[in-house]
Amino acid sequence: MSGAMDEAKVGVYVCHCGGNISDVVDVKAVAAELGKHPQVAISKEFAFMCSDAGQKLVIEDIKSGKINRVVVAACSPALHELTFRKALQRADLNPYLYEHVNIREQVSWVHKGDHDAATRKATSLTRAGVEKILRQDRLESIHVGAAKRVLIVGGGPAGLKAALDSAARGLKVTLVEKSGRLGGHLHEFDTVYPGGQSASELLGKLLSAVSANPAITVVLGAEVKTWDGFVGNFKAVLSTGDAVNAGAVIMATGYRHTAPSAGEYRFGKDDRVITLPALIEQMKAAPRGPLTRGGRAVRSVAFIHCVGSRQIEGVHAPQEDGKVNDYCSRVCCTAALHTINALKERQSDLAIYDLYRDIRTYGRGHEAIYEQASKNGVLFFRFTEEAQPEIRESSVVVKDVLTWNQEVELPADLVVLVTGVKPGEVAELTAMMKLPTGSDRFLQEAHPKLRPVEVANNGFFLAGACQAPMDLVESAAAAGAAASKVAAVLSKDFITLDPYVARVDAEKCTGCEACLPECAYTGALFMNGSKKAEVNAALCKGCGACVAVCEPRALDLAGWSLDQMEAMVDAMASEVAP
Amino acid sequence: MKAHTLVIGAGIAGLQAALDLAEQGRQVVLVEKNPSIGGRMISLSKVYPTLDCASCITTPRMASVAHHPLIHTLTYTEVLGVAKNEDGTFRAHLRKKPRYIEEDKCIGCKRCEEVCPVYIRDDFEHQLGAKKAISIPFTNAIPQFPVLEPQSCTWCGACANACPVDCIDFTQESRDLFVEVDAVLLATGFQLTPIDAKAQYGGGKLRNVISSLQGERLLAPHGPYGRVLRPSDGKVPDSIAFVQCAGSRDASLGVPYCSRVCCMYAIKQAMLLSGSLPTADITIYYMDIRAFGKGYEAFYQNAKAMGINFVKAKVGRIREIEDGNLALRIERQEGTAQPEEAQHDLVILSLGLTPQWNPGQLAWEVKTASDGFVATPGAPLDPAATTQDGVFACGTATGPKDIVDSIMEAGNAATEVGKRLEIRAPMVPGGAS
Amino acid sequence: MEHATSLGDKPPKILIITTIASSYTGANTVGQARAQYAPNTYILRVPDPVMFPEDFYLRCFDKGFAGIIIMSSGSDCPYEGAYGRLSARVGRTYLKMKEKGIPTTRLKLTTVCTVCKHAFLKEIDDMQNHLKEKAA
Ligand SMILES: Cc1cc2nc3c(=O)[nH]c(=O)nc-3n(C[C@H](O)[C@H](O)[C@H](O)COP(=O)(O)OP(=O)(O)OC[C@H]3O[C@@H](n4cnc5c(N)ncnc54)[C@H](O)[C@@H]3O)c2cc1C
Ligand SMILES: Cc1cc2nc3c(=O)[nH]c(=O)nc-3n(C[C@H](O)[C@H](O)[C@H](O)COP(=O)(O)OP(=O)(O)OC[C@H]3O[C@@H](n4cnc5c(N)ncnc54)[C@H](O)[C@@H]3O)c2cc1C
Repeated sequence: MSGAMDEAKVGVYVCHCGGNISDVVDVKAVAAELGKHPQVAISKEFAFMCSDAGQKLVIEDIKSGKINRVVVAACSPALHELTFRKALQRADLNPYLYEHVNIREQVSWVHKGDHDAATRKATSLTRAGVEKILRQDRLESIHVGAAKRVLIVGGGPAGLKAALDSAARGLKVTLVEKSGRLGGHLHEFDTVYPGGQSASELLGKLLSAVSANPAITVVLGAEVKTWDGFVGNFKAVLSTGDAVNAGAVIMATGYRHTAPSAGEYRFGKDDRVITLPALIEQMKAAPRGPLTRGGRAVRSVAFIHCVGSRQIEGVHAPQEDGKVNDYCSRVCCTAALHTINALKERQSDLAIYDLYRDIRTYGRGHEAIYEQASKNGVLFFRFTEEAQPEIRESSVVVKDVLTWNQEVELPADLVVLVTGVKPGEVAELTAMMKLPTGSDRFLQEAHPKLRPVEVANNGFFLAGACQAPMDLVESAAAAGAAASKVAAVLSKDFITLDPYVARVDAEKCTGCEACLPECAYTGALFMNGSKKAEVNAALCKGCGACVAVCEPRALDLAGWSLDQMEAMVDAMASEVAP
Repeated sequence: MKAHTLVIGAGIAGLQAALDLAEQGRQVVLVEKNPSIGGRMISLSKVYPTLDCASCITTPRMASVAHHPLIHTLTYTEVLGVAKNEDGTFRAHLRKKPRYIEEDKCIGCKRCEEVCPVYIRDDFEHQLGAKKAISIPFTNAIPQFPVLEPQSCTWCGACANACPVDCIDFTQESRDLFVEVDAVLLATGFQLTPIDAKAQYGGGKLRNVISSLQGERLLAPHGPYGRVLRPSDGKVPDSIAFVQCAGSRDASLGVPYCSRVCCMYAIKQAMLLSGSLPTADITIYYMDIRAFGKGYEAFYQNAKAMGINFVKAKVGRIREIEDGNLALRIERQEGTAQPEEAQHDLVILSLGLTPQWNPGQLAWEVKTASDGFVATPGAPLDPAATTQDGVFACGTATGPKDIVDSIMEAGNAATEVGKRLEIRAPMVPGGAS
Repeated sequence: MEHATSLGDKPPKILIITTIASSYTGANTVGQARAQYAPNTYILRVPDPVMFPEDFYLRCFDKGFAGIIIMSSGSDCPYEGAYGRLSARVGRTYLKMKEKGIPTTRLKLTTVCTVCKHAFLKEIDDMQNHLKEKAA
């Protein structure tokens, strides 16, 4: 690196910003002081560096060979760092040989009262910029080759839509489905809320589109068995023996219904007590006529919401892993009311009681389903988590908070437990792929607000109910969003990544391995065959955690090396009065 | 001007969709009628359920859009019409409103704002604060250009004298632009039901009854007062009420549907309030708490554990009593039967969400549904398609929803647009098309 | 014992370490609002302060910085687990500072977001006051 320093010729440009800087900072003095630096070849001030004329100054000085590194002291880099990097590019200079020093937002605008001090500070900040750029290499963005295939795990509605969307963008798709058929839970429904479309028609459309698409390879009854690689180049072997080489992965492993715990609401003991999915199945199998139970006509039904959802520690029995399901399962309120309306349509004299904690018909068209149920004469009772309804011989007793905690006994030939959802069986997959899950056991997105379909691990995306409970509209949106991210990653022949990643000077590395536990990104940092640390630039996110523990300074963050930072600190600490 | 896609609206949905498309190598023209991109989200305080500071997580997105070489952003620009051409492309007629400054010269230094002698109500602060008649719309606005409000300007010329780059242009006029695109994406967002819609709640005349978006500004780290004060007298409130469904699930307002975000934002605001005013009493009057999303139920339970009062009750009427305090007539849905009166010194109305723009007003085939939002006949499996081939919609333009759901829809819309472009304007190998 | 590079009569210099994602932008927000603070403050911009070894801070004190404020990203930190690692590192730095007789109050770890104007100014104020007290 010292070689680079010898031949480095820095151009320094101090911006007036039309008085915004120069009214407080003596820009001429700053430029003059910097001009004394042995490696600064040119030091100028100019009214508006960001203007075309300002940029031209820089470009001409580079082209004439006077300088090969550039420092502009002006506004915040957020505004114009990119502008000048592009100017360097236009002058055929590596755009990373540029440093932007902020003497407006962080000097002239905040130190109006002390022009001398502001000038001194601007000088040492600019000097720090010079010291940094003197120690900067020609960085290049990193290119990783990409297999133009996406692996989709799970063939429910989300996986199917993601497959179609990806194929429509020119990618090859391998769709792996654990069960013997595609379609996931869409198979279970007769009609779907809120629009009332036929589930089998929706499914039929998806399936015929998938089977007609030559870019999609479906592997049924299969699971991923081994896993290796990184974004652009994942390698999987399936239980069928098929090997898949994919550039990206979409997880679409969906959900499972929760089962009531043993004896909860007499489930399993009393055959009047069934779950909502069981009722939906029964209604689908016999789509017309009155509901029967054990051969007898059903005249009254009680629905109990939030079974297996919104559980409270101490009140509810925990799941297998010892935790209660404290989340809301999102789809069950509307699914239950949609089913209730269908029941009422076939049997208008059926008495229906709906026992709930909060009715959560939040989505577009959902509230109308709730209203319809009220119009259909369904009676609603609200219970609290502390006072759960009780199942008796031929009735249900509920303490109804809507009628000031009166105990009400409701006849019930059938009790339907509105069970919730839990994530698909993915423990083995997440262990193998090193994917994060949340405390609710669903797959964990990179950011719960801004990056819902991305995962912290590069190259993995989430579609549908594997990430959280969601209905079909939401699952479809998630699938499309995941496909959009995949298209962005794989649309070019190379995946381009920022150059600001850790790098190793193999000569200095002692193989002490102190860096390994610092790295939060699986596969980003490892020991290679010759017992030296090595960085996989495709996986490194450039946080620098490893740099801090590297005693021999073999590790460094490109563009932000410790040498650079120390040189900047020295420049800031040195007192130079212009 | 030609591009692959026109995205209308630069809230979080439009920003995300534009970014997704540009990341796929597609050219986007993004039009925003306001002077800054960012939509509602940039004006929020913190966002549930993570309580991330809204500006902190929105500004990077805004900056990525502003700097993206494939996104051409037109702010302060309105859509006058979109027509479908015979070849299936669209021609959009846009009008760029005058800021009365020359944008290619302006350096965003605020000199004009500093010297302007005229104060006007600040729309960004939902009328809670004041700004100058020429000013940059808010701190992290993108772009950082001031706008001059001609109705309020006294044409004194102070700004023009102060401007170091001589960019003030009092004679500037609006400018019409035409864009040819292969697809159009609507991300035109929502607005709140008007605060004066309900006479029972004071018809907008009660000084200490504010809207939920005003509540957001009161709580924003860089809000109008820098802390929580009530508007009438600057008093720090110590008893605050949230009235849920104050504009939703109410057929009389034409909003029979649930607005989907109000439960959660009220809980969020309540938590933030109790953080900044630890001794204040905070009550939420609600019908059902709809904490349905990932992590939302835990958020709700936390709020209860923090001591926020959740009262299942309808608020029948609000009136002002002495000192600007408010009396709420409460009909409890649990506990007692008698209507009662509760007093609070600040009331925040959880108003409903309605569409911000009606695309049906243009001469094209895009239709709205009975709820007024853009109709999406392809739902559930194709939620981005509208009634017009080649036009797509996402975010709150297709119904109330929160940020994360808006972002998911934006990504999906980018896919649907991308699929259309794949046919109409295939990418040539190597990247650009 | 006060550390060798004690402050003398020059104004004490404060190093402010900021993150690209959060606090650097926060510092700009302060500027955009034209809030004023003392010029003896020097802002260093990094992806994340987790990159600095303990000795980096000691070296800064040696070179003449009287105080260091690390303004890290909070919950919106883009790097996995970085905050935990950083605070552990700062904890170890405190031990080393104690060994050398440098008051640990000269190093402060805090989080500042992109619009935390008040927090930014308050941290500077606190450090200034603290250094003044020490000098007195
Ligand atoms: C009772 C009930 C009623 C509902 N009614 C409606 C309704 O009317 N309208 C509506 O919009 N939504 C409804 N929903 C929600 C709807 O079911 C979901 O939105 C949708 O099924 C989610 O699709 P998905 O593809 O993400 O998951 P799933 O449908 O769960 O599909 C996941 C697929 O992945 C497979 N899989 C799992 N693990 C693996 C693995 N390791 N390897 C390979 N494959 C794997 C599974 O076998 C399955 O085929 C209802 C939900 C419930 C609980
Ligand atoms: C009080 C309140 C608090 C909230 N808090 C949270 C929260 O904590 N967490 C959360 O997840 N969600 C929250 N939300 C919801 C959140 O605000 C929305 O989900 C999000 O803003 C929707 O983004 P959008 O892009 O769809 O719409 P918008 O943000 O409304 O953006 C639409 C954009 O389109 C522009 N536009 C409209 N019409 C036109 C036109 N004809 N031409 C050009 N441009 C046009 C508008 O000017 C606007 O910039 C809250 C909502 C409210 C009301």
